Amino acid sequence: MTMPTRRTILKGGVALAAMPALSGLAFGQEKLKVGFAYLAVPGDYGWTYAHDVGANDLAAALGDKVEVTKVENVGEAGPNVERVLRELAQQGNKLIFATTFGHMEAAVKVSAEFPDVIFEHCTGFMTGPNLGTYNARFYEGRAVLGTIAGHMSKKGVAGYIASFPIPEVVMGMNAFLIAARQVNPNFVLKAAYISTWFDPAKEAAQAQAFIDQGVDFLTQHTDSPAPVELCERLGIPCFGQASDMAAFGPEQCLTSIVDNWGPHYIKTAEAVLAGTWTPQQPWDGLKDGGLIMTPYNKNVPADVAAAADVVKNGQIDGSYHVFTGPLELTNPADASLNISIADGVVPDDGVLLGMQAYAAGVEVIA
Amino acid sequence: MSPEFIVAIVAAIVLVATPILLAGLGELVVEKSGVLNLGVEGMMLIGAVTGFAATATWGNPYLGVIAAAVAGAAASMIFGFLTLTLSANQVATGLALTIFGGGFSALAGKPFLGKTVPAFVQLFPDALALHPIWRVVFGYSPVVYFSLFMCVAIAWFLKRTRAGLILRAVGENDQSAHAIGYSVIGVRYMAVAFGGAMAGIAGSMFSMVMTPIWAEGLTAGRGWIALALVVFASWRPFRLLAGAYVFGAVMTLEVHAKAAGGIFSALPPEMWAALPYLATLLVLVLISLRRSAASSAPACLGRPFIPTA
Amino acid sequence: MQLRLEKRPEPSRVLLYGAPVLAVLLTMVVGAILFSLLGYDGVGSVLEIFTRPLTNPLKWQDLGVKAAPLIIIGVGLSIAYRANVWNIGAEGQYVAGALGGTAVVLLTMNMEGPWILPVMIVGGILGGMALAAIPAFLKTQLNVNEILTTLMLNYAIVQLLYYLLRSPWKDPMAFGFPRTKMFTADQSLPYLWSGTIMTWGVPIALLVAVAAWFLIGRTVFGFQVRTVGSAPNAARHGGFSAKQTVWLALLASGGLAGLAGVLEAAGPFRQLVPAFPTGYGFTAIIVAFLGRLNPLGVVIAGIVLAISYVGGEIAQTTMGLPSAATGIFQGMLLFFLLAGDVFVRYRLRVVSARPAGGTA
Repeated sequence: MTMPTRRTILKGGVALAAMPALSGLAFGQEKLKVGFAYLAVPGDYGWTYAHDVGANDLAAALGDKVEVTKVENVGEAGPNVERVLRELAQQGNKLIFATTFGHMEAAVKVSAEFPDVIFEHCTGFMTGPNLGTYNARFYEGRAVLGTIAGHMSKKGVAGYIASFPIPEVVMGMNAFLIAARQVNPNFVLKAAYISTWFDPAKEAAQAQAFIDQGVDFLTQHTDSPAPVELCERLGIPCFGQASDMAAFGPEQCLTSIVDNWGPHYIKTAEAVLAGTWTPQQPWDGLKDGGLIMTPYNKNVPADVAAAADVVKNGQIDGSYHVFTGPLELTNPADASLNISIADGVVPDDGVLLGMQAYAAGVEVIA
Repeated sequence: MSPEFIVAIVAAIVLVATPILLAGLGELVVEKSGVLNLGVEGMMLIGAVTGFAATATWGNPYLGVIAAAVAGAAASMIFGFLTLTLSANQVATGLALTIFGGGFSALAGKPFLGKTVPAFVQLFPDALALHPIWRVVFGYSPVVYFSLFMCVAIAWFLKRTRAGLILRAVGENDQSAHAIGYSVIGVRYMAVAFGGAMAGIAGSMFSMVMTPIWAEGLTAGRGWIALALVVFASWRPFRLLAGAYVFGAVMTLEVHAKAAGGIFSALPPEMWAALPYLATLLVLVLISLRRSAASSAPACLGRPFIPTA
Repeated sequence: MQLRLEKRPEPSRVLLYGAPVLAVLLTMVVGAILFSLLGYDGVGSVLEIFTRPLTNPLKWQDLGVKAAPLIIIGVGLSIAYRANVWNIGAEGQYVAGALGGTAVVLLTMNMEGPWILPVMIVGGILGGMALAAIPAFLKTQLNVNEILTTLMLNYAIVQLLYYLLRSPWKDPMAFGFPRTKMFTADQSLPYLWSGTIMTWGVPIALLVAVAAWFLIGRTVFGFQVRTVGSAPNAARHGGFSAKQTVWLALLASGGLAGLAGVLEAAGPFRQLVPAFPTGYGFTAIIVAFLGRLNPLGVVIAGIVLAISYVGGEIAQTTMGLPSAATGIFQGMLLFFLLAGDVFVRYRLRVVSARPAGGTA
């Protein structure tokens, strides 16, 4: 599957052109050394944790055939990222995963310097002869969460702790709200950008503020389990993000969207070992196991669980797409970003990946 | 706004203000003795991880807080030995302590990642602590009441006790304090240890009260806000109390503004985040314009003491 | 029994240069023991961190890229600290320099010509100077403690960066990501030769250090800075103005931090992102002290600190050492260095009598 490119002008050359099989690779003779560059540390119990689980899945599944190296706290952008990717390549890693959006420019640059090393970049859009990308359809999970909230929220108001106004996050908000409104047409989603992916105290403070403002459901697009832990104490139902956060909210964390990178890492390493790897841009959803939902908590009534399963299974068998038209998305600051989807139309992936406009019912503050 | 909502906002302010109040009170005593310890953030992180680890291990949050205080004080002794016994530069040593504390806490905390401890949030019985209105008085963690007590105690100590007078004398004019026969270094050691203990307790607020989890860099720079706060308060305990709640209100209104919309959300969030520092600059200017001795920086702040005689 | 410092009649030349070496060696020994106790391969890790970046020629470029901003900022701070002006706002001045340079970038986005880069660099230096001028004004006019003002401004200016990137300076094509457009070729520092990652920032850093060494050692300006710093009374008699020195010290250190910022933005980054401030301004304080406030010493110190970063990453990939180890090593290095530093000017005596009077 090849996704439409997200930019008209791409730097670094998007030569998806055929390239002779990468000759520098050993075919099953030696161990394949696989390197991972992490944004933060696995202890975040969020984004990096999920990648670490995937890396460990890879090591467990392929055993002797791979040797996994991880570098923590590489950061979001800049010369550090380049240096770490280069270091991994120089250490003999033949497959390198750069695991956050900010690593994109560095991956483009370093992959050009090491043509016999394969790079894959998470959530980016630029590719090259030895550079692929990978991502997961997190919005599908958000639609399941929205369905649950739509059924269970008495006030019909949920809070959404968000990081930055990027398409990935906007898509998640919209999916949550649209699914919730399919159950409760008056549902409102209050969303706040807190300009960080990880600051447990600030995430908890924002959660507390939402709860004080009267939301009776909470969901987050930031990485720490702090909001879930707070919800558990205050008796506010919520959802886990990136990893299974049930341990932090045994009563209130109704289900978690788990970023499930393991299958992709295993598949990619196998392809490299077999010499069949080509640069691709997979965007795996619930169907392909790019993300999984943890089992519903006991506090989810059977009928709500059944309704949520309808949405979940519909996305697996292709009968349900949360962004099916008619749909009007608006950006209050810039009308050129508005999106209009006609009745019955399912927007293509390019529209989704550039989404910077909000569905009616999403109240964004700051 | 309903009374319940006002109570909720006050409670949120108290929660975010308490760690900077605790760390600020400790640093105030340190600075009053003439020492500038920029290692607050590092000591807070060491306190945060130690408090969490102790609570997770022994199951008692009071022991956790005590352990955090001991760990903070122990970390401050590295600073003390270098700057007091060896007269090393205080700015550089404090920064080194912050760097070291960040690395040390991250490494020491590895076994505790992904665990939780029962939140240390309540002192009074449920009827008071969970009352929709009265929780504004009774609904806090014991650490919050401790911070208020310490504020009064430190104000009294500095103003009314002989030991407090000596501490101030050492900070204002170390050479004459030495000439009179006081142990400048001894006094400063005690002040630094006290500051470390308070920073350790402040750190434990993050890992035991606000979000009972441990994560690397959990305090996210609040140690620097505590340093600003001391200056903002012009080295006076009750002003520091007020300042902590003003800073806390700014931090709380930032998140509430986002949740509520309205006039507050008109200010860019970055402005809210910068406000404590800008306000502190303004206070520094005001202090110097008024030139009142009682509210200016201790004269020996940041200067190593080496007896001339 | 008590330890007491006694001033040496002359600073010890041996220790002046020996102390940093000793500090590095002690850090290696204690680090090896510490990490062995923690269950890692302590000796192996230390060797990876401290020797691999030097023995592997592939890493030399990395060291250059990492050390260049540390050296430029560290040189500026050395000048300030020699004058007893405690600028700890280099981190903010570094960001202000990047902002100054990027302002020029955004104005010249559709222009071409070799004049753009020099204008950017001037913009960066002025940006750093402008931020440093605030504490200089407050110190000279109102006698406000510059440690506190420079510290506060660090945090305020970073918020300005976040604001500009989130709103007015944001690349409209970046899908909402807070970042500027990539700089054009004319707005970027050229690489030294093709295939390298080192830009002209590296030789500029060396040039700055040599120039500062000459300036401090051989000119009246340098004499003024040194005299005001070490003997303020003598300086007054000699007709040197303390106020003027404060201005010079802050503008020089702020301008150099600004230069480092614009070189970093136009060099390795080639765009401005929220992750731009990485603590170089704070690390450079360590560098200035490690280099004994001597511009040439700062060059070596900058390289030592760069080794600890680059080596820390190598140890992660080869030994599985966690990233936290880098902080521990840097902290220890500084502790030992600062401790050793004292013995250059003082010697430690054990005295048995306590000074008269009570403790507290």
